[in-house]
Amino acid sequence: MNQLVRAELLKMRTTRVFAATALAALAFIPLTIAVAVLTAGKPGGTPAFETHEGVRHVLSASSAGTVVVLLIGILLMAGEHRHGTATATFLVTPDRKRVVGAKLIAATIAGAAVAVVSSVLTLAIVIPWLAAKDVHVDLLGSDVVLVLLGGFVATCLYAPIGVGLATMIRNQTTAQGVALVWTLVVEGLVVSLVPTLGRWLPGGAATALTYAAVNDVKLLPAWAAGLLFAAYAFAFGAAGIALIQRRDIT
Amino acid sequence: MPSQTAPSISVDGLTKRFGDVVAVDDLSFTVEQGHVTGFLGRNGAGKTTTLRMLLGLVQPSEGSATIGGVPYVQLPHPTLTVGAVLDSTGFHPGRRARDHLRVLCAAAGLPAERADTVLEEVGLSQVGGRRVKGFSLGMRQRLGLAAALLGRPEVLVLDEPANGLDPEGVRWLRLFLRSYADQGNTVLVSSHLLAEVAQTVDDVVIIADGRLIIQSSLADLADQAQPGVSVRSPEATVLRDALVAAGTGAELRSPDTVVALETTSEAVGLIAAGAGVTVFEMTARHFDLEELFLALTADPKEAR
Repeated sequence: MNQLVRAELLKMRTTRVFAATALAALAFIPLTIAVAVLTAGKPGGTPAFETHEGVRHVLSASSAGTVVVLLIGILLMAGEHRHGTATATFLVTPDRKRVVGAKLIAATIAGAAVAVVSSVLTLAIVIPWLAAKDVHVDLLGSDVVLVLLGGFVATCLYAPIGVGLATMIRNQTTAQGVALVWTLVVEGLVVSLVPTLGRWLPGGAATALTYAAVNDVKLLPAWAAGLLFAAYAFAFGAAGIALIQRRDIT
Repeated sequence: MPSQTAPSISVDGLTKRFGDVVAVDDLSFTVEQGHVTGFLGRNGAGKTTTLRMLLGLVQPSEGSATIGGVPYVQLPHPTLTVGAVLDSTGFHPGRRARDHLRVLCAAAGLPAERADTVLEEVGLSQVGGRRVKGFSLGMRQRLGLAAALLGRPEVLVLDEPANGLDPEGVRWLRLFLRSYADQGNTVLVSSHLLAEVAQTVDDVVIIADGRLIIQSSLADLADQAQPGVSVRSPEATVLRDALVAAGTGAELRSPDTVVALETTSEAVGLIAAGAGVTVFEMTARHFDLEELFLALTADPKEAR
């Protein structure tokens, strides 16, 4: 299993598309921080910095790239079908469960790497910016630890969801389109308009996990959201493993 | 390591249906160890589907295929037993050739240095650092073959490996496969052109419409493809009988055409004169393997 995970990580390291996607994920962070800082405490904006919620909301920019990590998971799985490398992959490892298992693990590792860089980048921007506004954030305080930990978990787990999704939707472009429309449009609307349903969706759970404030919407507590989101990741991963078994690789 | 005990391939009652379409229909054949076997049929005859079922990539609707008595998916180290080249498109365009091979080495637990060794073997060491998107079809075929050789397998399965190769490349491939088999390895190579593999193969398996037409050694098949003489005559039946009476194999191809096999124009002319048969036209023909192959694989709907 170890060697299969290394092979999957090598696949990501030897094409530019994964690095480019990870960079795109990171690019969201300064933008998201800027929007959060500039709208904080304004009418219709997010909570002011004087509150825990306000500080947590700015820090939650560390998970701004989670959707892009979802795309990395999709690339890792759907790319095999798109480029026909699935043939070579499954010839070397005819036990397809193990291949998908290795992809789930490798994608999670990639997600973790993005999450760590995201956290560092967020702190590097937020701490001095807020300090300039005379808001001092304790690096080891609960605001920082909870938000970054929640963001870490959300970012890691979006990657295996992408792998699982790409076993259901084999066409890479379609899978990415569905992922983006679902996470950015459908879930955003459902969470805002029907929060009783929205908070049970993967995106609602991920948002709760990252402590991003959503206007007047009551999400699940972070611990419950974390468990729910992990269950989603597990379900998508298990579905991927089940689906790949009897599929014809043509 | 090459040995005299390379596994044989056995295909037994293999059937694949895609909806209502029967791509492969109750197909059975064997590939002897240490032989090069040509797997022949027209495009769409079911060759690729058969090879993909043999390699566990496509699930058979019925039947089974084994390598050394074991289904591919149950081989303990498939890369060390079987190398396969299935299509020339199985590469990420943005990945360097050497990296493509290194990924496979990592997955198979082979040392990464094998990548350089096989690039050398197929003549691609100069371009191993280039991204595959810049590769010609012939270079992709070679890279596919390099990937198949990573585990030094004793069985090679190749699907139309000569596609996209220039004449020099085809010659190189022929010599490569011959020497590979001469080391005791088993080779199964598909093609839609018999002539392309005639100089390489020991045996042929010919299919049409997913069904086996003939499994034979190339030598036996060549015996059926002898030179002969085609004669047009208003008394074709009389001439046919005269030829047969004289001990020459002959058959009626149409009401006014007789084909005499394994003989010469001179011999046929003498027999015709002796029988007092009028001859309009006489052509010495070489009924070559390719013609025989086309006749064997002819679409039955076209023939009628």
